Amino acid sequence: MPSYKLTYFNGRGLGEVSRLIFAAAGQKFEDVRYERDQFPAHKAEMPLGQMPVLEVDGVKLPQSSAIARYLAKEFHLAGKDNFDQAKVDAVVDTVGDSFKGFIPTIFEQDPVKKEEIKKKFFTDDLPKHLQNLETLGKLYGNGGHFFVGNQLTWADLYFYNFAQTYIEAEADCLNNFPWLKQNRAEVEKQPKIAEYLKQRPKTQF
Amino acid sequence: MSTYKLYYFNVRGRGEVARLIFAAADQKYEDIRYEREEWVSHKSEMPLGQMPVLEYNGVKLPQSAAINRFLANQFHLAGKDNFDQAKVDAVVDTINDMISKYRPIRMEQDEAKQKELTKTFLADELPKHLQNLEGLGKLYGSGGSFFVGNNLTWADLYFYDIAQHILELDENIFNSYPWLKENRQQVEKQPKIAEYLKNRPKTSH
Repeated sequence: MPSYKLTYFNGRGLGEVSRLIFAAAGQKFEDVRYERDQFPAHKAEMPLGQMPVLEVDGVKLPQSSAIARYLAKEFHLAGKDNFDQAKVDAVVDTVGDSFKGFIPTIFEQDPVKKEEIKKKFFTDDLPKHLQNLETLGKLYGNGGHFFVGNQLTWADLYFYNFAQTYIEAEADCLNNFPWLKQNRAEVEKQPKIAEYLKQRPKTQF
Repeated sequence: MSTYKLYYFNVRGRGEVARLIFAAADQKYEDIRYEREEWVSHKSEMPLGQMPVLEYNGVKLPQSAAINRFLANQFHLAGKDNFDQAKVDAVVDTINDMISKYRPIRMEQDEAKQKELTKTFLADELPKHLQNLEGLGKLYGSGGSFFVGNNLTWADLYFYDIAQHILELDENIFNSYPWLKENRQQVEKQPKIAEYLKNRPKTSH
């Protein structure tokens, strides 16, 4: 049994998908969380000076999606064959496309400008991506509630996590997307996920 | 016998890595290239109204990274096991981080502004990404010239393709990055790649 150590900030951000995958798999791991002021002292230990980093039996792996996909494959949450795994990747990439538009709303300092770009994101930008995600779910989901092949994969966990960020900014953003709402409800109902969500630290991001 | 169709514009862009993978694997496929005027009538045939799209045994898959990784997995160019595949993914994500900083600059309409932004990109942004990539190559490359495990993987093909855009900004850039220079030369020397590079259509980007 390999030993797993995940190092990230004390927040959900780009690390939470991996934590969700560990939880869904019932897999123990060392969950190292640095506060923002602790990180500079450890930056040089990271291959790219960034987090998250996964350490497996002492070998370090950077890049959040590479980490999440690796863990999903190890724990059979990635899709049943190469093509299903590709469908999962396509869903993940589509969620990723939606998040690119959200990032400016995080970093904008001017409160008036921030409110403006937030409004534009939720009115004009996000709905297109949510529509695309529903399309993929219906195309690949075999009539079920999960994105690919009628079983939970890391695509569902990935969407679950980033949608939480959107919902915290705009509570109604999924109201026109019942398939996506149902998908998130199915994720939350998984016993190991429900347990994890109940117990995980409440963080700012 | 599986059938592969790739739909994209008649450019390299986000479709070329898939074409390089097919070439390296010596795998036949239908290389469908739409001119911009043709594309309009085909947009609704694509799951997300975008290209590239791979059609595998009649089922469509969007998202260039998902397509590339699937093809690499099919043709054993993805890494020898889950962890090597994760290292390949990490290199690919790091290349993406680099090019995502450049794409907005390419979109800039104002010529003077574009020139200024390009200058800043070359001086301030690009070096750390190239250093990161050399770092990963030395960490994962088992002492060889390929990024991961002493074998050609799609990480090498992806870097080869993206580097061509960087070379258009500064043809001497890799003189300061000998490992990356050698990596590209090793890719070009692969017989099937050399043949493909000689024969492929010459396009603007």
